[in-house]
Amino acid sequence: MSAEKAKYRLEIQQMMFVSGETGEPSHSTTLLIEEIVRSQVIEMLLQCTQLAHRRGSRTISTDDLIFLIRHDRAKVSRLRTYLSWKDVRKTAKENDKEGGGDPTDLLDDPTTTAAAAGGPGAAVSAVDAVGKRQKKSKIGLPWEVSSYFSEQVPEREDDEDEDEVEANFATLQRLKNADERTRGMTKDEYVHWSECRQASFTFRKGKRFREWAGFGTVTEAKPNDDIVDILGFLTFEIVQTLTEEALRVKEAEEKVKAQSGAGLGGRKRKRERGLFAGEEERTPVEARHVEEAFRRLQAARPKVRAMRNFAGGGGRTRLGLV
Amino acid sequence: MSSHAGPSQWQRMQSLRDSSNDGFGFTPYHHQHQHSQHHYNSSSLSSRARANSFSGGDAGAQNNSNSTATTAGPAEAEKSQEDEAQEAKMHAFRERFQKSEKHIDRLFRSKRPCCRSDFHDGDDGGDFGTVDLGDDMDSDEGGIDAIPAKPVLPAPTRRIVEDDYDDDDEDDEPPPKKQAVSAKSSGGLLDIPKAIVPHNAEAKKSPAATREKLEEDRKAAEEAAKRALSNMFFTLENDRDAMLEQQKLEESDRQVNAEHNGPGGEGAGGFQGKLSSVNLGASSLTLKHLITRIDAQRERVILSDMELRSLISEVRKNRSKWASEDKIGQEELYEAAEKVTIELRAYTEHSTAFLNRVNKREVPDYFTGRWARLIKTPMDLGTVLKKLKQLAYKSKAEFVADLDLIWQNCFTYNGDPNHYLRKHAKAMQKKMLEMIPLIPDITIRDRAEVEAEEAGAAEVDADAESDDEPIMSTRGRKGPGTTKAKKTRGTPARVGTPEVKPLTVNLHRADSQPPGNDISQANGSQNGFGTPGPAGGTPVPGMTHMDLDHVDKLDDDTADAEYQAWKTMTKRGRAQITGERHKLFRHDRLAPDEPALLRTRDGMGRYLRKEARHFHQNDEDRMPSDSPRVVDKLVEEGGSDEAPLIPDYYEPLSTVPELPWNVEWRPGEEVDILGNQLRLGKKDIFKAPSTGLVNKMDANMRQMQETRKICSKISVIKQMQTQTQIYANQFSKYNPEQFVERDVDDYVVSEDGPIFAETVCRAALQRSLGKIFYHTGFEEFQPTAMEAVTDIAADYFKKLAKTVMLYRESPAGFSDQEVVLHALHENGVDLDAVESYIRDDVYRLGSKLDVIHERMRGHLADLLRPAFQDTNGDGSALFNDGSEQFIGGDFAEDIGDDFFGFKELGLDKEFGLDTLSVPLHLLQVRIRNPAESQAHAAAHADGYKPPPPFEPLTIELLKPQIGIVQNFFLAKLHAGVGVNEQGALIEDEELPIKQRAPKPRLPPTGKISVPRKRPLQQQGGGNKKKKKLNPVEEKKEAAGKKGAAVKGAAGMERAMSKMSDVDGGEAGGGGGMISPESMVAP
Repeated sequence: MSAEKAKYRLEIQQMMFVSGETGEPSHSTTLLIEEIVRSQVIEMLLQCTQLAHRRGSRTISTDDLIFLIRHDRAKVSRLRTYLSWKDVRKTAKENDKEGGGDPTDLLDDPTTTAAAAGGPGAAVSAVDAVGKRQKKSKIGLPWEVSSYFSEQVPEREDDEDEDEVEANFATLQRLKNADERTRGMTKDEYVHWSECRQASFTFRKGKRFREWAGFGTVTEAKPNDDIVDILGFLTFEIVQTLTEEALRVKEAEEKVKAQSGAGLGGRKRKRERGLFAGEEERTPVEARHVEEAFRRLQAARPKVRAMRNFAGGGGRTRLGLV
Repeated sequence: MSSHAGPSQWQRMQSLRDSSNDGFGFTPYHHQHQHSQHHYNSSSLSSRARANSFSGGDAGAQNNSNSTATTAGPAEAEKSQEDEAQEAKMHAFRERFQKSEKHIDRLFRSKRPCCRSDFHDGDDGGDFGTVDLGDDMDSDEGGIDAIPAKPVLPAPTRRIVEDDYDDDDEDDEPPPKKQAVSAKSSGGLLDIPKAIVPHNAEAKKSPAATREKLEEDRKAAEEAAKRALSNMFFTLENDRDAMLEQQKLEESDRQVNAEHNGPGGEGAGGFQGKLSSVNLGASSLTLKHLITRIDAQRERVILSDMELRSLISEVRKNRSKWASEDKIGQEELYEAAEKVTIELRAYTEHSTAFLNRVNKREVPDYFTGRWARLIKTPMDLGTVLKKLKQLAYKSKAEFVADLDLIWQNCFTYNGDPNHYLRKHAKAMQKKMLEMIPLIPDITIRDRAEVEAEEAGAAEVDADAESDDEPIMSTRGRKGPGTTKAKKTRGTPARVGTPEVKPLTVNLHRADSQPPGNDISQANGSQNGFGTPGPAGGTPVPGMTHMDLDHVDKLDDDTADAEYQAWKTMTKRGRAQITGERHKLFRHDRLAPDEPALLRTRDGMGRYLRKEARHFHQNDEDRMPSDSPRVVDKLVEEGGSDEAPLIPDYYEPLSTVPELPWNVEWRPGEEVDILGNQLRLGKKDIFKAPSTGLVNKMDANMRQMQETRKICSKISVIKQMQTQTQIYANQFSKYNPEQFVERDVDDYVVSEDGPIFAETVCRAALQRSLGKIFYHTGFEEFQPTAMEAVTDIAADYFKKLAKTVMLYRESPAGFSDQEVVLHALHENGVDLDAVESYIRDDVYRLGSKLDVIHERMRGHLADLLRPAFQDTNGDGSALFNDGSEQFIGGDFAEDIGDDFFGFKELGLDKEFGLDTLSVPLHLLQVRIRNPAESQAHAAAHADGYKPPPPFEPLTIELLKPQIGIVQNFFLAKLHAGVGVNEQGALIEDEELPIKQRAPKPRLPPTGKISVPRKRPLQQQGGGNKKKKKLNPVEEKKEAAGKKGAAVKGAAGMERAMSKMSDVDGGEAGGGGGMISPESMVAP
C-alpha cells in the first residue's frame, strides 16, 4: 500500500496509545488497522443502507446504525451517552449564542471536549460538572420498552436505569485503567495523553472522512451529521478493541516465546539489568498481532452459523462487525 | 491374526521370558489370568484386544509350564511327559478362555434369551467349561498327570469366530498336522464352499475321498454361513452387483439353451422337450436348483408335486440324460463336467466376463491381427456348455483344456498385470481347480472298443497312464517356465517355517506369482489321486493344496472368509430378491405396471420355522404353547424345504413382527376390538406449561395491556384538548381480552408415544411465538411475518433436536447435561445468553413495565386534573377556577368516596364503570352526535313526523337484499369502516363528517372530470383488509384441534361476528394486522 493512502496514521497512533499501546507502532501496523477500520465502516454503511431500504427509506438514520451494534449493550449505552452529551453541547452552544457569554463555556473545557470527541468515558467524569445545569436528553431507541406504547412516557428525574448501571460497568473499568495509567504521568505526558484522547476520525475532518469511507458510492453523499459522529465514535471503538486484542495476542506470544526460549537461549538473555536502566523497552504491536486479533474477533460466532447447521456447504459469512 | 495361544507367540514369549520364570511358581499365572479376565469384563470387545490380553495370559501359562520343564531335567522319558504337561497347560488355559468368553456374553445382553444362549452353546461345545478355576489351580499344582488328556482341538460345533482362531493356531503348529486338517474340514469356515452340493455324490459310482472331503467342506461351510447369518449383519452394498451378474447369467443360460435347441435337437436323444430337459438337467444340480427351476416353470409343469418328486428321484437314482448305451463313461464324465461348468457359470462374482463369446463389436481387435494369431480359439463358458450338450468332449482332459483356454486367453489378451479381468480369471481358475478333482478321469470310448480291449487287462492300466499324460502335457504347454519355480516356492510356504503368518506369505506370493502358478500345484495333487480308482491318493497333499487355496483366497479378495462365504451362499437369493425389487422401482420411480411384492406363504413359513428353531433350541418355556401349532401348520403349507439361504432382513415382507404381548391374539380368545387400549389423550400437552418463566411473561403481557388501556385514555384526552369536533365513535375503546390458551379438543390414543399432528403442533408453536412477539412489544403483526418466523423457529428447533440426537448417539457417551450444553453451543446459544435473556428481557422488562405503568397512570391523572400539575401536590390548587374536579367527581376517587352515589344506585355495575367519576364523554359537552340533533331539529321545524329510520344493515340482514348490492355491502361490512359495535352499517349521513365521502360537485368548468384515483395507501389498506379474514379463521381452526373446532354454519357465524368485533375494535390501527388477542383468545 502506498504511503499516501494512509490518511489517519496519527489518529490511529493516538488512539492506540490511549488504548494501552505504549510503543511506537510501525507504519504497516497503522495502515493495516486503517484498512480494517475502513472495511468495517463500509460494511456498516452497506448494512445500514440495506436496512433503510427495507424500511422504505432512502436515507440511513442513526437508528439503523445503532441497530447494527444492538447486541453489544455496553457499546450502545456508551454511544447513547456520547450522543446525549453531544446534544447537551449543541443546546449549550445555542444558549450561549442567545444568552451570550456564559461564564463557563463548555466548549473551552478540555475534559468536555475530549468526552465529546473521542473518549466517551470522559463524559461520565464531567457529569457532575454539567449534569445539573443541562438536562441530559435521552436518546430513545425503537426497541426500547417505552416504544411499546402509543403515548410518550413522561420523564422523571429519579431515572437511574438498571441497564445503564450495568452497561457503564465496562466504561468505568476503562476509565479506571486510564486513571491508573495517568496517575504516574508528568504534566507534559498528561497533556500529550489528553491530546491523544481527542483523536478522532471525524472530528473536524468530516470531508476527509467522507471521502475515505466512500460516501457517495456506498451510500448517499450527504449524510446526517449525527451519522458521521456516530461513525467517529464507532471507529474509535474499533481501533480500541483491535488494539486491546492485539496486545493480548502479543502478550500471549511473548509468554510462549519466553517459555520455549527459556530452555534454548535463556543463558544469553539473562543479563543483569542495571539499577537505573529504566524500564525495558516495549516492542510495539506488529501487523501480525493485529491480523491475529482481527481473526479472533471475526472467528467464533456460532450464532451466525447456527442456522446453517445440517444445511451442508460452507456458505459465505458476512464480515463481522468488531 | 492368530488371536490366542498361537504357538509361534508361545515360542517367542518363551524365549523372551525364559530366564526369569523359575522363581515364580504358579502365582503369576493365576495373577495374570485374573488380569486377562478382568480385561474381558471391562471393555475389550474387539478380537484384537482379546488377542492381546490373551497372549498376555498365555505367556503366563507358558512361563509356568516352562518352569516345570526346566526343573524336570533333560531326561528323554520325562520329555514326553513334559509335552503332555504342556498340552495340559494349554488345555487348562483353553478352558479359561472358554470361560472368559462366556463373560463376553454377559456384556452382549440380548433381548431374546435364545440368542444369548446360542453363544453359550457354541462356547460350551463339548466337555469344557465345567471345570472351574479352583480345580484348575489344583490340578496345575498337584501334577500334570492329574489332568485327563482332553482333545486339544475344540469341538467342531464351536462358534465360528473361534474356529477362526483355532484354525490359525493349528496351521501354525507343525506336530498335529493331521488334526489340523480334520479340524479344518469339520468346522472351519475359512474353507469356502468349494464343491457343489453333496446329493450328487451319492449318485456317483466311485466317490473319491477327495470329493467326499470337498463335500464335507462344503457342508460345513454352509452350516457355518447359516450360523453366521443369524449372528452377523451383513451390509447390502453388493446386492446390485449380485443382481446384475445373476441377470447376465440367466440371460446367457437362455442364450445357450436357445442356441442349442434352435438347430433342432441334434444332440443326443435326451432332449425331447423343454420341460424334461430342464428337469433332467436340474437333476444333476442341487435340489435347490431343481426347486427354483420348477418354481420358475411351474405353470408349464402339468405334474403334481408328488409325481414330480418321484420323477426326479427316479431320474437321479438311475440314469441321467447323458447316459448312452454305446459310450462307456460318458454319463459319469458329462454329469460331472456339466456340474462343474454350471457351477463355474454360477460363480457370478467373477464369471460374468466369461459367460459368453467375446463380442466382436465390443472388442473389435480380438479377432484380427496380432490377437487373432495369439488367440487361436476363443473360448467361453457358454461355448463349453454348448459343446457339452453336443457331446463334443471325449475325455476329461479335453474339457479341462477348454476351460483352461478361457483363462489363458484372458491372460494373453489382458497383458496388464493389474487388469481387473485377470483377477476374475484367476479367481475362476482357482474355482475350477477346486472342482476338477470332482470329475472322474475318464476317456469315453465306444463300448465295442472296450469290449475288444477287455481281453487284456494290463492294457487298461496303460491306458489310464496315457490318459494322465496328455493332461500333464497340456498344462506343461501353458505354463512351461513357471512350473518349477512354483513348486519350489510353494513348498516352503506350505511346509516351511511355521512362525510365518499366513498373511505375510500371502503378500509375498501375491507379489510375485504369475497366473499360471496354481496349475502346476493343482496338477500335482490331481495326479496324486486323479485316477478313477477309489481313494487313490493320500489325503494329506490334497489338504495342503487346499490350505494354499485358502491362502490364495485371502490374498486375492482380501476380504474375510466369512464374508466371502456368506456372499457366495446367499448370492442367488439376494439376486432374486433385489431383482424383483428393482423391477418395481426401476428408473427411480415406482413402476405401476409391475406386479406388487407380496408376502408369500412360503416366506412366512420359512421365517416362522427359523424363529421356531431359534426358540426350540434354547428355551421352550418362552414359546407360547399354542404357537408352534400355528407355525407348524404354516410351515407344512409353506412347501419347499430348500429355501434360499438369505437372512431375514432381505425379506422384510415375509417376516412376522414380534407383537407386544398385550396385542397378541391367541386362538380361542375373545377379541376385544375397542379394548382397553383406547383412552383419552393427555390434556394440556399443547399448552404452555405454567412454569415460572411463562407466568412471568404472562404477567408482563397483562401489564402491557393495562398500560395500553391507560395510553388509549390519554390519547382520548389529548384529542379532546386539541380537537373542536369530537364524536363518540371516534374513540375505539381499548378493551383487550385476556390471553387464554385453549387446549385441543379431546382426542383418543391407543398407545404411548408422542402425539404428532403437524398442523396442531405448528399452530401451538405459532401461538407461542405470537405471545413472544407481543411480549417483545409488537401489538400487531402481519400474518406473513408470523408464518415466516414460525418456519424459522421450527427449523431452528429441528436443528437443535438433531444436534441433541447426534450427541446422545455419539459413542463418547455424554451425560444429559453435557448433551444439552453441547447442543446449545453448536446452535449458537450458551447458558449466559439464555440467562441474560431471562434476566434482562423478561424479569427486568417486567420491572420496567411496572415503572412505565406507574408513570402513565400519573400522567393520566395529571391530564385529568390539570390544576394538580401546578401545585406542590398538596391539593391546594385543586379547586381553582375552571377546574372540573367538582363536576367530574374525580377527586372523590382519590379519597375513595362515592361522591355522586353511583355505587348506591348500582350504576357502576349496570354500566360497568371502573371509576366512580362521571364518565368523561357525558361531561364534555362538545361530544355529541350532531346528526341526531340536526334530525330532531328538522323534524320539529317542519311539523311532520319523520319516517321511521332504516333498519341498519347487518350481516344477518344481507340476505334479503337484492343480489347486486350484496357484495358491495358485504365488502363494506368486512372493511369495517363505518360499522358500529353491533356489526351494523351506519348510514352515510350519520357518519362523522370526516369519514363521509366528499360530495360530488360540478367543477366551475362544467365538465365532469374523470373520477379521482384512489390514493395508494387506501388501496393497499383495502387489500390487506380482505386478507384479514383468513388468518383469523385459520387460527381458530388450528386452535381447535384438527379442524374440528368450527362446527358448521354456526361456527362460521361466530367467526364472522368475531371478525367484525375485531375490526370494530381496531379500525384505527393499521389494516391487515393481527394481534395475539385476536389470535389466541377463544
